[in-house]
Amino acid sequence: MPVTPFAKTPEAFDKLYREHVDLVYRYAYRLCGDMESANDLVQETFLNAFRGMNAFRGEAQVSTWLYTIASRAAMRLRRKRKGAPERELSLEEFIPTSDGEFRLQIPIEGLTPEQALENKELREALDQAINKLPKKYRIALVLRDMEGLSAKESAGIMGLSERAVKSRLHRARLFVRRELSGTGVTQEHSRSDAKGWRPRRSGS
Amino acid sequence: MTKKKPPRRQIASPPSHPHQPGEGRCLDILRQLSAYIDDELAEDICAELRRHVGACPNCEEFIASLRDTVTLCRHHHPPPLSSQDRARLRRNILQAWKPEGPR
Repeated sequence: MPVTPFAKTPEAFDKLYREHVDLVYRYAYRLCGDMESANDLVQETFLNAFRGMNAFRGEAQVSTWLYTIASRAAMRLRRKRKGAPERELSLEEFIPTSDGEFRLQIPIEGLTPEQALENKELREALDQAINKLPKKYRIALVLRDMEGLSAKESAGIMGLSERAVKSRLHRARLFVRRELSGTGVTQEHSRSDAKGWRPRRSGS
Repeated sequence: MTKKKPPRRQIASPPSHPHQPGEGRCLDILRQLSAYIDDELAEDICAELRRHVGACPNCEEFIASLRDTVTLCRHHHPPPLSSQDRARLRRNILQAWKPEGPR
């Protein structure tokens, strides 16, 4: 739906904020992995949006515009306390070198995703795995697999081709899969075992 | 809504054609797995990959765990923004913006 360009007034800001703060916060939290950094990113995003309101012509959805601003701000924000250094992920590093590595499992058999994520350890392991991703891969994963945007929308937000987004997404998924897979976890693990599962501590 | 997840196929026997590191088409296959689980592969490539996966328990398991990863990501929701934080953030943003505002 076309969007009327905003006037740069406190009322316009309030409308923008009220209608989109939850979306921006959710995205920021997924990118940052903690509330404090997410709040910083929300502030930065809305400040930048507000400053750029006059330039917004309504050619994209407001949410897409805000995702773009937030993604750029996230790339700029310095890492605080945790997170992985920026680096390229190569496909080669994800080639399993043994049958065991091929068959590493994420122990959620027999559980719905919601039930599986009730397990605090699994949830934390997922958070940690996502936080360990270099930012440019994390943004692709969050936009596509968590926010549910299409490759085309994500490409527009990231300023990349769809092909590049898919490539980053694929590496990000392989990375998270490897981080989540517990060493020695097998098909035989039962539902109750899964609840007591401990994440593998990867040295990567 | 909670949907019961269908049980994954049990792998009882050892792989008939296990991949060997540095051999076979590991990298080719690995490269295409996300497109495969997202149903984005051309039909002929998809059929070829499916044939391979059907004969390779290792790859089948790898794909299952990759699917699980994506499923978990899709269902992982952060805690909601509290009303106090919502109000505080709004105040902070308006304060930070004021010096260069129109008034």
